[in-house]
Amino acid sequence: MSHPNPYDVQKAEILDVIEESPQIKTFQLKLEKPLEFETGQFVELSVPGVGEAPFTPSSSHYQKEEIEVSIMKTGFVTEKIHEAQKGDIFGIRGPYGKGYPLDKFKDRDILLLGGGVGLAPLRCLLQTLIHDIDDYKSITVCFGAKTPQDMIYKDQVDDWKSYDKIHHLCTVDKCKPEDNWQGCTGVVTVLLDDIEIDPKDAVAIVCGPPIMMKFGTFSLLDKGFKEENIYLSMEKKMYCGFGECRHCVMGGYYACKDGPVFSYDKIKDVEKIWE
Amino acid sequence: MGKFQKNSLRMDKAALVKFFKEVQDQFDIFLPYEIDKDDPDNLKLKKFQGNDDFVINKYRTIDPLKSLFYLSSESVLPPTAKEDKRIIAGVKNCDLLSLGVHDAALLEDNFVDPNFEKWRKNTYIISSDCDAALSTCHCNILGHKPYPNTSGEDKARFDLNLSLVDDNYLITVGSEKGQELLDLMKQVSEVDEPDNYLLNELERQHEEIDKKLEQINEEFSPDRDVSVVSKVKDGEVWEELCEECVQCGGCTNICPSCYCIIVNDESIDDNFKRIRTWDSCQLSGYARVAGGESPRDRLWERFRNRYQCKFDFIKQNFSQYGCKGCGRCISVCPAEIDLREVIKALQEV
Repeated sequence: MSHPNPYDVQKAEILDVIEESPQIKTFQLKLEKPLEFETGQFVELSVPGVGEAPFTPSSSHYQKEEIEVSIMKTGFVTEKIHEAQKGDIFGIRGPYGKGYPLDKFKDRDILLLGGGVGLAPLRCLLQTLIHDIDDYKSITVCFGAKTPQDMIYKDQVDDWKSYDKIHHLCTVDKCKPEDNWQGCTGVVTVLLDDIEIDPKDAVAIVCGPPIMMKFGTFSLLDKGFKEENIYLSMEKKMYCGFGECRHCVMGGYYACKDGPVFSYDKIKDVEKIWE
Repeated sequence: MGKFQKNSLRMDKAALVKFFKEVQDQFDIFLPYEIDKDDPDNLKLKKFQGNDDFVINKYRTIDPLKSLFYLSSESVLPPTAKEDKRIIAGVKNCDLLSLGVHDAALLEDNFVDPNFEKWRKNTYIISSDCDAALSTCHCNILGHKPYPNTSGEDKARFDLNLSLVDDNYLITVGSEKGQELLDLMKQVSEVDEPDNYLLNELERQHEEIDKKLEQINEEFSPDRDVSVVSKVKDGEVWEELCEECVQCGGCTNICPSCYCIIVNDESIDDNFKRIRTWDSCQLSGYARVAGGESPRDRLWERFRNRYQCKFDFIKQNFSQYGCKGCGRCISVCPAEIDLREVIKALQEV
């Protein structure tokens, strides 16, 4: 009996490319067949002949045939991905890993804390939460970026703010006067001083560069969030996405199979999680 | 598998050679051959050469069994494992046990590696008992025997096992595939039942090799606590242990149970192949992400990772250690780093 090849891909046609920032583009992809994924799971996206890299879709799991993926140019594969044009074909396989435990978020205050391209998976989550907004008590969005130009999804903020349950806060590390920046300045954790939710029973979902995740987590703990209510997206090297290549192993866990999202209590004793 | 009886049949070497000759058109046959008379660690798996020069007994080959099941580089898209039937003979218990790690990881977990599955399915494994040991052999201190367990729940993953006693092979069937081989053997060669002398002699041989391994490893306690690999976190201790390491990655490449890979695309004209290639956690770029961060930037961290993977992480993942005591990593190391010594040093911290 032969099993399906886990490396098989389906075709994903680029419907449109949105320039979110100088380093980040969002690719709207049309898939051959629907991708049955859960919010928080990731896919391996490939440029044929170039290679693959893991990404979490930035659109909700309620969109299965046309998905969006926001990608920062950081390495060999992402550079080639950024060169792709409307009409080009990517390969896609997945989904992999475990989604966010949405059941546990029901009827609770939810905080999304994100920085840089870490906003991509958080926007997937935010869109899913908005789809079922009656199920949740409130959603506080704390987004950060290096400069106003690096802040992605700016055009969607008004839409998010139109929901009574959503509180949107944002900050940039630095800005120039000519940027006309209306929000805060400072690292993303400064926004936590302004949140109005009771941390004791709230959940926080954190995604961003490792240093931001580290200090974000410590700030949340200081605020009174519980370890088991802080969810972290772990960025590790991944080739396969399903447990073969072992590059993402963190102690006894695989970031690909057991994550990529872990609650802090589960991984706090694993060495070197922030690097 | 309780239905297969242990050491119930016998054949001599001439009969075995005759069998290989008869079936070499149906099977690719791989056997250990001596390649260097001066170095005892000199057995290499090669295609059957039509004569009786092969060495089915002694100890493990230089090359790990994985080099025939999980090739150093092979295409996964499309998968390129061949359909041809193969016999690999003279496989020792350390390699069989390591194959068990790969079965757990690549067949029995949440996915099936397409090449491994095919190689595995088309290959008939004829294992054999060690009747000699290299100075690096240490399966005994990990609780294993230098000959496959031929019965019970934790029976080794062989199809046929041959135990060499005084120019006789005592045959144990380990699977339906083994039975298939035995039926073929019976068609072309003489197979009969062993007498009590041979059975007793085999038992004596087993005791002898067990004792030999105990002697080789007498400095290393058999009930050693390997959890020290994770408990000892002091970088200075590890730095000292890997002072001589040249980061060649030989230890992981030659390890029969290591299976870390990278996946890359290879363009061929307008087409491409997706290739998986052995990787080594000892190399500096191994865990580095595109953004530049690496959880193990320093050599001692990567050196420690190998020990933790073998004696902690793989155990958490698959309920067994990732080291079966073949000692190849010791033999291959240009810095002469001895895994047994490292663990002993950690225990003494």
